[in-house]
Amino acid sequence: MSFGLEAVGLVRNFGALRAVDGVSFELQPGELLTVFGPNGAGKTTLLRMLAGVMRPDSGHVRVAGAPADVASRDWRHRVGIVSHQSLLYGQLTIEENLRFYGRLFGLDDLKTRIPERLASMGLSDRARTPVRELSRGLKQRVALARALLHDPEVVLLDEPYTGLDPHASAVLREQLASLKNGRRTVVLVTHNLKQGLELSDRVAIQVQGRFSSVTDSASLDLAELEVLYHAAVENPA
Amino acid sequence: MRAYLALVWAVTRKDLLVEFRTYERLTAMGAFAVLVGVLFNFSIDTAVVRPQDIAAALIWMTIIFGGMLGMGRTFRLEEEDGALAGILQSPIPLHALYLGKVLGNFILLSAMATLVFFVFGLFFRLSFSGNPVVLVAIVGLGVLGFVSLTTLFSAMATRSSMGESLLPVLVFPLLVPVVVYGATATDRLFAGRPVVEVGGNLRMLAAFAIIFTVAGAGLFRFVIEE
Repeated sequence: MSFGLEAVGLVRNFGALRAVDGVSFELQPGELLTVFGPNGAGKTTLLRMLAGVMRPDSGHVRVAGAPADVASRDWRHRVGIVSHQSLLYGQLTIEENLRFYGRLFGLDDLKTRIPERLASMGLSDRARTPVRELSRGLKQRVALARALLHDPEVVLLDEPYTGLDPHASAVLREQLASLKNGRRTVVLVTHNLKQGLELSDRVAIQVQGRFSSVTDSASLDLAELEVLYHAAVENPA
Repeated sequence: MRAYLALVWAVTRKDLLVEFRTYERLTAMGAFAVLVGVLFNFSIDTAVVRPQDIAAALIWMTIIFGGMLGMGRTFRLEEEDGALAGILQSPIPLHALYLGKVLGNFILLSAMATLVFFVFGLFFRLSFSGNPVVLVAIVGLGVLGFVSLTTLFSAMATRSSMGESLLPVLVFPLLVPVVVYGATATDRLFAGRPVVEVGGNLRMLAAFAIIFTVAGAGLFRFVIEE
């Protein structure tokens, strides 16, 4: 059986520090996993390995059953990433940024695809605005449009709510909720227990590089998650 | 092949678009070229030295030092809001990314080199009418060798905590052939020597440019991957 996303025994060291320590999980297509954890737990490092931006010291990742090796480029059109950084060029307009990334992904229908993505993010009237002139909330929407431009099967979200005001967070939450369209596999990394829980199918708590627990979110309410989270952080396995 | 070239051009086009929005690198390199030309013009005693005799060496040193100002920032642009991670996550082959960067830098440095020749030609009363095609070939090959090397090492410096200050230390020793063969060939053209006398220098510049471009494309992934 092929999973949407599969991580097996991922380990990454930075000198003496083990940032990610034997993380394994499998996600079905359409599932959303939220990874919680304190600062320095290795969440971003984990996501960078899942995105193929960083090489694991050991372990491997599979995307839709295919090995997602860092040296290989072929599988990357299956994955989109949104980070707390926008991954955009401030000097270029929204449209130019999307066109550039579209070309990198070898898309040949950009004339129709870009306006569609901009419309779905409510950005049509700002297509020619330089990214540096956008608010943090709008920039995150452009970042999401960029990540979804090539219609990836796996979407990785690293602290997408960072720096957003409540309204911008709510707008982004709507956009992220729409990602769960039944076939897209999503991994969301966040500090915010409430925002993370409400979208997820499963939750994991990462402490000192390890997953201390992976739980179905249907069986959890926010209070229970808080208890679980604090227990994991205060008494790491 | 067409798809590959389209990827290379996408990177080049993006770099040039960003540069033409800010003129950050062109301004730094251009100002340096003009200032150095002016300074040399006033600091050389023409009663003792004929400016034409030392112009070629000064031109190449200006291109190298001025070029370093711009090339050092090649990957700073990508780091500003994490854009490099976005590119690395995409399916573009890393040698295509490297070649796109090299081509962008080649165009920018060629513009700067043209300005350097213009400034020195003006101040030192140089004549470029002898063999302009050969002169363009010398400069083009020298600039290609320079940018192929500095683009690779700029990526390496970006990954280092020492950043841009590390770049000249790494690059200057390897640039000796460009300076020696470029300056010698240019000097001979300025002196009105026959083209056959610069053939060897041209071949060395071409070999240097090809070797470093090919090696850079092959080594780039080891420099840029985490």
